Amino acid sequence: MNDEDFARPKWRRWLLNRFVLVPAVLVLVTIGWNLWVVTHDHGIIRGRVVDAAGAPVEGAEVKLWVFNFATFVVKASTTTKPDGSFEFANNPSHNIQVSADKPGEGRSARVPIRLYFASEDFALKEPLRLANGS
Amino acid sequence: MRKYPRWPIHLALVATCFVMLVPFYWVLKTSISGENIFSYPPSIIPRHPNPFYYVDVWYAIPFARFFLNSVIVSVMTVIANVVLNAMAGYSLTQGFRGKTVVLMLFLSCMMIPFQTTIIPAYLITGKLGLLDSYLGLALPMFSTIICIFVFKASFDAIPHSLIDAARIDGLSEWKIIWKVMIPLAKSAMATNVILSFIWSWNNFMWPLIATRSADMQTLPLGLARFLSYQEDSTGALYAFCIMVLAPGILLFLLAQKEFVQGLTSGAAKG
Repeated sequence: MNDEDFARPKWRRWLLNRFVLVPAVLVLVTIGWNLWVVTHDHGIIRGRVVDAAGAPVEGAEVKLWVFNFATFVVKASTTTKPDGSFEFANNPSHNIQVSADKPGEGRSARVPIRLYFASEDFALKEPLRLANGS
Repeated sequence: MRKYPRWPIHLALVATCFVMLVPFYWVLKTSISGENIFSYPPSIIPRHPNPFYYVDVWYAIPFARFFLNSVIVSVMTVIANVVLNAMAGYSLTQGFRGKTVVLMLFLSCMMIPFQTTIIPAYLITGKLGLLDSYLGLALPMFSTIICIFVFKASFDAIPHSLIDAARIDGLSEWKIIWKVMIPLAKSAMATNVILSFIWSWNNFMWPLIATRSADMQTLPLGLARFLSYQEDSTGALYAFCIMVLAPGILLFLLAQKEFVQGLTSGAAKG
């Protein structure tokens, strides 16, 4: 500590040092992250299902697979709307997969989705593409 | 006076740093890429880095609970170490009958490994009714002999006339320690804080014996538990290691200047 340090007011010496500032920044980041989690953890998974030509598929069964200890198990399933969209409302996990299937149209590959926290709201960027023989 | 070029020393230091830091880098790299440790050829730059192994660890075990337990036990240990070791270190700077015997006793006790005193420590903690409690977890680490000597070395470097002046001014021994000695021995205090924190944070054997419920386990026990759950996931295992190491490294980086000063204070007199 030099003379300049002693010239500063006592409260500044106590508050503006690395032993206070670093933990304070960490606390602020933690609070910010938790606020983000609380406002984005509804467990909503959205996406679309299309056929091999890229047209929306209605009535395809979409399954939500959740990682369970050592393997993935089906947690929920839903069917697509006329525009090919689907939505799961209560995903509980952070490590999931989704797949789509429709008799006559084929099935999609299982798409793995890794989330930053459990129940994070997520929308698939690429649609699930049905193909025979997948 | 002839000046020698400094670059060879710097080159040697950089090479040494590289050797020392490579294992840390490898753990960090694996924790964000999940590459198998035996993959050949090994990649220096992580392929497809992602934070998801950290997320896996967070949800695989009650990490927040273990972290809180470790923090509580470590904070108790650090506070107790600073207070008790400062008092012990100060007493060893004073002259009293049997001081040499006490010093020899301390030095000889340093050579006894903790594993040999675990049974008495367990029995005493049990008799006190402190098993499976925070106080019971922290109690055996409340004072460490090395840290007492760190304080003693630092206090020895303070002129004795200062203590005499404080006594003449009417200060009690207790106040002399906290108002005169400690402000002049901040580096020794930083060394005590860092060493006691790291020893408490990394302690595995005592929490393993002293805890009964899963809720009281600390992070090193959590790591062992995690290994039994997911021994096939290299990335998650390394992510867990980073999460356990991070607080200790952060504390060291924050107080490294004081830490090094504390270790070297009293090394040379005059």
